Amino acid sequence: MIARWLLFLWIAAWTVIALLWAPLVPLLGATTRVLYFHIPSAWITVLALAWSMGHSLAYLRRRRIEHDDHAAAAAELGLVFCIAATITGSLWAKAMWGSYWNWDPRETSIFYLLLIYGAYLALRGSIDGEERRARLSAIYSAVAFVTVPFLMFIVPRLYFTLHPDPLINTHGKIEMDPRIRICFYAMLIGFTGLFAWMQSLRVRVTRLARRLEAAAAEPARRAV
Amino acid sequence: MPTRESSSAAVWAILRKECRSEWRTRYGLNAALLFAVTTLAAVSFAIGQLGDRSDVLAALLWMVILFAALASLSHAFVREVEGHTLTMLRLIASPTSIALGKLLFNLLFLGLIEVVTVPLFLVLMAAPAPRWAPFLATLAVGSTALAVTSTLVGALIAQSRERGALFAGVSFPLLMPLLLAAVRATRAQWLGVSAAAELRLLAAYALALLAAGLLLYDHLWED
Repeated sequence: MIARWLLFLWIAAWTVIALLWAPLVPLLGATTRVLYFHIPSAWITVLALAWSMGHSLAYLRRRRIEHDDHAAAAAELGLVFCIAATITGSLWAKAMWGSYWNWDPRETSIFYLLLIYGAYLALRGSIDGEERRARLSAIYSAVAFVTVPFLMFIVPRLYFTLHPDPLINTHGKIEMDPRIRICFYAMLIGFTGLFAWMQSLRVRVTRLARRLEAAAAEPARRAV
Repeated sequence: MPTRESSSAAVWAILRKECRSEWRTRYGLNAALLFAVTTLAAVSFAIGQLGDRSDVLAALLWMVILFAALASLSHAFVREVEGHTLTMLRLIASPTSIALGKLLFNLLFLGLIEVVTVPLFLVLMAAPAPRWAPFLATLAVGSTALAVTSTLVGALIAQSRERGALFAGVSFPLLMPLLLAAVRATRAQWLGVSAAAELRLLAAYALALLAAGLLLYDHLWED
C-alpha cells in the first residue's frame, strides 16, 4: 500500500522535476522531454520480453504453471509499454526527422517486438486448456528468443540509423547534462517499479482467478 | 516409442506417407501452385515488366514465395488434426521424427512450387539473367529456412482453435529476419555483389531454428 503511494509520488515528482528543472538539449529543443517517457517505455519493453521468455523457458523445464502466469503477464504489459514506446517514438520522429515512420533500424526493431508480442498473445488466446496453452506458447516464446539476435544482427546491415545512442550511453559520446541524466535515471527506476508492481498485480489476479475456479468446481465434485 | 536406431527409418516412413497421401489427391499441391501463380499474375499485372529494377524484383520474388509458403506449409499438421489421424501417428513415431518427416515433405513441396514459380517469375517480369550459382544457393538456403520455420509454427498452430487464420500472423515475426536476408542476397547477386554474408546468415538462421526445433519438438504433444 505504502509502496504503491511512494511509486506514484516518485513518478509524479520526477515528471514535474524533469519538465521544470532539467534543461533542454540545444538541438532537440522541447522534444528533449520525450526522453523521460520514451526511453523508459522502450526499456520496459525489452525487460518484459526478457522476463517473459525467461519464464517460458523455465516453464518448459519445470512445468510449474506460475512460470506461465509470469510469462503471460509480462507479455501483456510488454505490449502496452511497447505501444507507448512506439507512439512516443513516432511522434518524436515526426518532430525531428519529419516523418512518423521511416523504417529506421530502431523503428524496425520495435515493430518486430510489437509483432512478437502480438503473435504470442494471439497464439495464447486461441489455445484451449491451461496446460496446453502454457506449453505451446512457451515453445513459441523459445523459438522467438532464438530469432531476436538475428534481427539485431541483420537490421543494422540494412540501414544506417539516425537514432540517438540507445539506452545507456557507455561510450559517453553524447554529453548528457547531469540534470537530464539524474531525471532520466529516476524515471527509469520509476518505470521499472511501475512494471514490477503491475506485473505482481497481474500474476496475483491470475492466481486468485484460478483458486476461485477451483473453489467453484469443488462443491460440484463433492456433490458427485 | 521407437528406439533411437529406428528414428531415421521413422522420418523416412513419415516422408513417404506424406508424399503418398499428397499424390493420391494432389489437392494441396494443386491449390498451392494455383495460389502461387495467382500471386505472381497479380504482381505481374499490377506492375508489368521491371527488367532494370533488381531491387524491386528481389523483394517481389520473395513476396511471391512467402505467400505460396504461407498458404500451403501450415497444412502438414492441420491435415492430421482435421483427419483425426494425429493420435495414430503419435503411436508409431516420436514427435521429433514426425516433425522431421513433415519438414522434409514441406521442403520438397516448397521446391516443387519454386520450380514452377521462379522461372515463370523471371520470364513474366523480364528479369535480367541471374548469376545462377548465388541465385540458386539463395533460393535453396532461403527455402530451407522458410520450411524449418513454418513447420515449427505449423505444428504449434495445428493445436489451436483458429488454425488457418493464425498461421500467417504467428509465423511472420519469425520469418521477418529471414525474409530481409533473402531479399538482400537476391538483390546482391543481381547487382553482381557478393552475397556470401547474407547466405551465411540465412544458413545460420536455418540451423539455429532447426536446433531449437529439435530441442522443442518433444514438448509438442503431451496431452
